[in-house]
Amino acid sequence: MKTLLKTAILSSALVLGAGFSEPAAAQDDSIYIPNLSYRTGPFAATGTPLMNGQRDYITLLNERDGGLNGVKLVYDECETGYNTEKGVECYEKTKANAVVTQPWSTGITLQVLPKSNVDEIPILAPGYGFSPMADGKVFQWAFNPPSSYWDGASMILRNISDGNLDNLKDKKIALLHLDHPYGKEPIPLLEALAAKHGFTLLPIPVGLTEMQNQSAQWLQIRRERPDFVLMWGWGAMNAGALTEAVKTKYPMDQFVGIWWSGHDGDLKLVGEDGKGYRSVSWSVPNSESPLMQDIKKYVVDTGKSLINQGEGEFDWVFYQRGLMISAILVEGINAAQEQFDVKSPNPEQLRWGLENLNLDEARIQALGAEGMLVPFNTSCADHTGHGGGWMLQWDGAKFVKASELLTPDRAAIEPLEDKEAQEYASANAPWPINEECKM
Amino acid sequence: MFYPTAGQFKTSYQADYALFPVRQDAFLLGVIALFAFVVFPLTASEFTFRALLTPVLIYSLAALGLNILTGYAGQLSLGTGAFMGVGAYACYKLVSIFPEMNIVVAIALSGFFSATIGVIFGLPSLRIKGFYLAIATLAAQFFLVWLFQKWGWLYNYNASGAIQVPNIALFGVTVAGPRATAIAQYYFVLCTVCVITVFAINITRGRIGRMWKAVRDMDIAAELVGINLMRAKLMAFFVSSYIVGIAGALFVFLWRGAAEANLFDIPLSFRVLFIAIIGGLGSVLGNYLGAILIVALPVIISTVPKALGLPIDAATAEHLNVMIIGALIITFLIVEPHGLARFWAIIREKLILWPFPH
Repeated sequence: MKTLLKTAILSSALVLGAGFSEPAAAQDDSIYIPNLSYRTGPFAATGTPLMNGQRDYITLLNERDGGLNGVKLVYDECETGYNTEKGVECYEKTKANAVVTQPWSTGITLQVLPKSNVDEIPILAPGYGFSPMADGKVFQWAFNPPSSYWDGASMILRNISDGNLDNLKDKKIALLHLDHPYGKEPIPLLEALAAKHGFTLLPIPVGLTEMQNQSAQWLQIRRERPDFVLMWGWGAMNAGALTEAVKTKYPMDQFVGIWWSGHDGDLKLVGEDGKGYRSVSWSVPNSESPLMQDIKKYVVDTGKSLINQGEGEFDWVFYQRGLMISAILVEGINAAQEQFDVKSPNPEQLRWGLENLNLDEARIQALGAEGMLVPFNTSCADHTGHGGGWMLQWDGAKFVKASELLTPDRAAIEPLEDKEAQEYASANAPWPINEECKM
Repeated sequence: MFYPTAGQFKTSYQADYALFPVRQDAFLLGVIALFAFVVFPLTASEFTFRALLTPVLIYSLAALGLNILTGYAGQLSLGTGAFMGVGAYACYKLVSIFPEMNIVVAIALSGFFSATIGVIFGLPSLRIKGFYLAIATLAAQFFLVWLFQKWGWLYNYNASGAIQVPNIALFGVTVAGPRATAIAQYYFVLCTVCVITVFAINITRGRIGRMWKAVRDMDIAAELVGINLMRAKLMAFFVSSYIVGIAGALFVFLWRGAAEANLFDIPLSFRVLFIAIIGGLGSVLGNYLGAILIVALPVIISTVPKALGLPIDAATAEHLNVMIIGALIITFLIVEPHGLARFWAIIREKLILWPFPH
């Protein structure tokens, strides 16, 4: 009993010490970039290649250039398992020295978004998060470049209607979506467009617990015979939907996913049967580009990468998208460094950097990533950039670019964005609006 | 030596049924209260408040609610998560319909909504027992979460389907919403939890608590001695769901700041049930010990590799964490199947006798 008591006292002392110690102070010669990653849990399959990409881009800069303009970039992951509760815990854990928050889930984004005005750390959510975050005057600290979900929905509709949404009149479009804030994101826009252009929208939710078994949902699709099925799926849901689609023999060329539903690993499962499936994307894999060659030379071949080379992860859409996400962030840091003439910019300076991103074609070329990312630029009023994207089509073995650059119908989206942003601000009053921004 | 009870004589009935018949218990509780009210707030960082202290308190409160139903009245329930959801959504609607309402009033009222729902889903308990009742409460779990998703009015038709907590001030201090400081929220939660704990201790050791225990131990015998089973069971559902509902309102308003329906799904119910079981069914203290083990320990363990400078990446650390916590739960349950509260009771007994073995 005595030893037991001793251990109990010792361990509780250790526990208290660990719990109450403050994280180490920031250093001047480095920039701390935390990432709320998920390499565990039901979404790990899709999360891991993205995290690997983000990690490897930072490693490349540190290995090849000795950091960014001579400042070492410290990349640090905090595991959330796509769990909102863990995500908030990670946010609290990393925010002390962080220049940026990368929440990596719409649920976590919604949690940290109201705190961004208080903690004053920019949130970078490339291609995810809350679509009205595009309104930079209301959401001063949140960024979702280069395209929001509403942009994505608009791009898909434009593509499947050959550029004119009126062609969709009297058609039936099913939205197979994860029953989670992420999956519900496009519904307000699609509903508005359905009313305007006279097509029928049929939202089909897939609960988190039924991701792998979607027979009920696909039975409904078989019964309703929609002309198109759009998919807002993530993690295990994508693979489940694709296998069910093959089983019910739903025509693949009428099945279109958002950028997070275009994971090579999921389509490899169905292989040839998935031929024709499309996924809209703002990034395109290009393994021959100078950037990818450098990644190979400095990171992969030196064994510093965590990618699964046997599976061919190097060529995956998601891995290379992860690289692009870090590239966007680093561009923001770079802009802040130049503007304020500092080595390691603080969160507020980085916010300026992210508001003044200018990733035009020349700049993307200079990064060695030609064709891998849509060109876009941001401003204080526009935190998304609305670069648009391309359709990627599965050819049975890999994704290939299958369209010209698609752009969203901003005239249809903007009023809705303004309305939602204002609603959000008034529901969370007092909510500061950026009055200095005169755009 | 540490716990000498010799010389503490009870000379009146009052003293015999006092809350702390042994002086050291009161002293120990005083030390814990001193830590909770003074030492922690002075030393803790924001991370400690938001990831350790506040969640432990809220989860203990939810487990306390469940423990009243399962531990004291013997009615197994798997619907705790959904009842927490009822409390949270009720509080959200109250605050958005009556923005002037005091947050304390709103939280106290939201408990009545979950209590009512709890009584409705407790009705089957009059006919069915044990695992069959668990299945019936599971129905509440599925139905309510479905309702939270489908009934747009509940979340004010937000596009994301999530509820967001606005800034709410109490006597000039913001206690809920993004602008609230962690310390204000901690004190709010701590005070609420203290009040409800005192209430729970007194109700469980009084007439009503004995009634519940009689029903738990043998309901036919309880009926024969004149206990109204229907009243006892439904009262247990009412009190339990009330506390669980308040825990749910605190969960969203004083801690998370935003919530989607999925949050209140089965994993939350199981988590609360595990806290109650590992802490010890039929005890009040156990809920706190269980919450520390299930909620706080994973957070603390996850900071260890970094604190020691071990080069373990985040995903591996997470896997290790799950393994360690799993192993600890099994060890504790093997060492003491009646939970951590019983474990403490044994330690206390030995301390009273120490240094003599018998």
